[in-house]
Amino acid sequence: MSDKSEACPSAAPANGRRRFLLGASALPAIAGAGLTLAGAPAHAALKTSAHIVIAGSGLGGLAIAARLSRGLDGAKITVIDRKEIHNYQPGYTLVATGIWPVDKVSDRNVDLMPAGVEWVREMVAEFDPVANAVVTDSGRRIEYDYLVVATGLHLDYAQIEGMDVAAIGSNGLGSVYPGPAAAEATWHAMDSFRRKGGSALMTLPATPLKCAGAPLKMTFMVVDRLKQAGTRGASNIAFHSALDNIFSVPRINDEVLRRWAELDIPVTFNSKLVAVDIGARRATVANPEGERREIGYDFIHVVPPMRAPDAVMNSPLPWQQGGFAAGGWLEVDPGTLRHRRFPNVFGLGDINGTGKGKTAATIKKSAPLVAQNLIDVIAGREPSQHFDGYTSCPLLIREGSALLVEFDYDNRLTPSLPMIDPLQDSYFAWIMKYRLLKPAYMAVLKGRV
Amino acid sequence: MYEIWLTLNILFELGLQYLPEVIGTALLWAMLMLFAATRPGVGWRQGLVPAIAVGAIVTVISFLVTPGMTKSSFANMGYWVDWMNLFFYAAAFGAVAAALAWPIAASMYRTA
Repeated sequence: MSDKSEACPSAAPANGRRRFLLGASALPAIAGAGLTLAGAPAHAALKTSAHIVIAGSGLGGLAIAARLSRGLDGAKITVIDRKEIHNYQPGYTLVATGIWPVDKVSDRNVDLMPAGVEWVREMVAEFDPVANAVVTDSGRRIEYDYLVVATGLHLDYAQIEGMDVAAIGSNGLGSVYPGPAAAEATWHAMDSFRRKGGSALMTLPATPLKCAGAPLKMTFMVVDRLKQAGTRGASNIAFHSALDNIFSVPRINDEVLRRWAELDIPVTFNSKLVAVDIGARRATVANPEGERREIGYDFIHVVPPMRAPDAVMNSPLPWQQGGFAAGGWLEVDPGTLRHRRFPNVFGLGDINGTGKGKTAATIKKSAPLVAQNLIDVIAGREPSQHFDGYTSCPLLIREGSALLVEFDYDNRLTPSLPMIDPLQDSYFAWIMKYRLLKPAYMAVLKGRV
Repeated sequence: MYEIWLTLNILFELGLQYLPEVIGTALLWAMLMLFAATRPGVGWRQGLVPAIAVGAIVTVISFLVTPGMTKSSFANMGYWVDWMNLFFYAAAFGAVAAALAWPIAASMYRTA
């Protein structure tokens, strides 16, 4: 029986009075902000006739398109992506845990595309950086002077035998990553599970992940939802990581493991989800030696292995050796985000083969930097900006509280404001995630911050 | 400076999300001010005290109800940053209430 028709009681839209009050409360500050933003000083644009192609229209693609269209005078900027709906991906975990209604995460891409930018509604099928050209899936060849690769990544569910993305939401199957519908369906599955309780199996693959905090948030929130429903005592939750950790930043890894020990969530390391029998609700995990073991579950959260999209993977652009080669990740210098072998190519966002940085927060910090570095290169200078790998993860730990974790390539915790304690349960971190990060995201997308 | 710029942008985008409500409140305030300003003998100074009192009351109420309205609770106030954030959030409601109350209170203190 499908669980998809079950209600989502915690995700009711805000009522009119609440909307009015929230809008009214922001009035004085917004008036001030509007005046300030309107009066923001404009930098002199660099005159050029360069043609810049941006592959991808996610947050990274749109943010850099907006910045380049302002920072360059006379350039031709082409964005290539068929996507008509722009999804606010950081909101998926809120939808998948019943906190937000699904309609809060989708906007029309046409409303977000910067003015003056050519939008080719096709997908890049082939990158030919030797000839400075891309080929779209309709066979159209587009030549460029400079290229920004912002394609995002590929969710490789095919590596999990028996996995069917269309089945998310049924038979206790959850996975937050594919899109808004899957996130909503995941909540339906979780909501159904929490009413009776049972066994939950939470997973983590071995590949680089976008929003690597999402599997942890989902785990914390399963516990919280079970507690709210009064079924925690009748339930057990097991976390299987294909790695020897659950998060790449040691201090956060240790802190989450400590909390999970208190919450009675055992973790099995080096245990990779390799197969799932959706109808029978049985998962198969394997250790590095290849030994396989079946585990029954009532609810499972599947996190797919991730890699570069085929168009990038099958091109000369990925790393040729090292840890990022297998996934086909873009070979960029981690500091400048400029391609190491094709100097007129830059990478932005999830596609980059760098040690950190597959979150919207990474785009916030790196999009201005890549834009400036590209402008420097067009002007005949060396890139002037250096990226420290900044990323951020508002880590939901229960409904109403979160940790605001920020860090860099070197695993240093780098809070934006000195008074923020990244390891402190916090309402402020919650309100950031729940209310303020989407406005921040929109400002990044428009190239203003 | 960057954090200030980011905060201003967040507020601006937040305002765009609630644009009808923001415009409605601004129009209401402008009409109340116009109404008061065109009446003779309005007590602007005397109206300040009750306006501030209204603002303070709304701030307190907002302080009490905001955690619940944001799917949280006072139990989730972890440290002083949370309390400060909640206070400023509530004070923003209070400031709007005071701004709306001022022309009304001032009109009630007419001397002519």
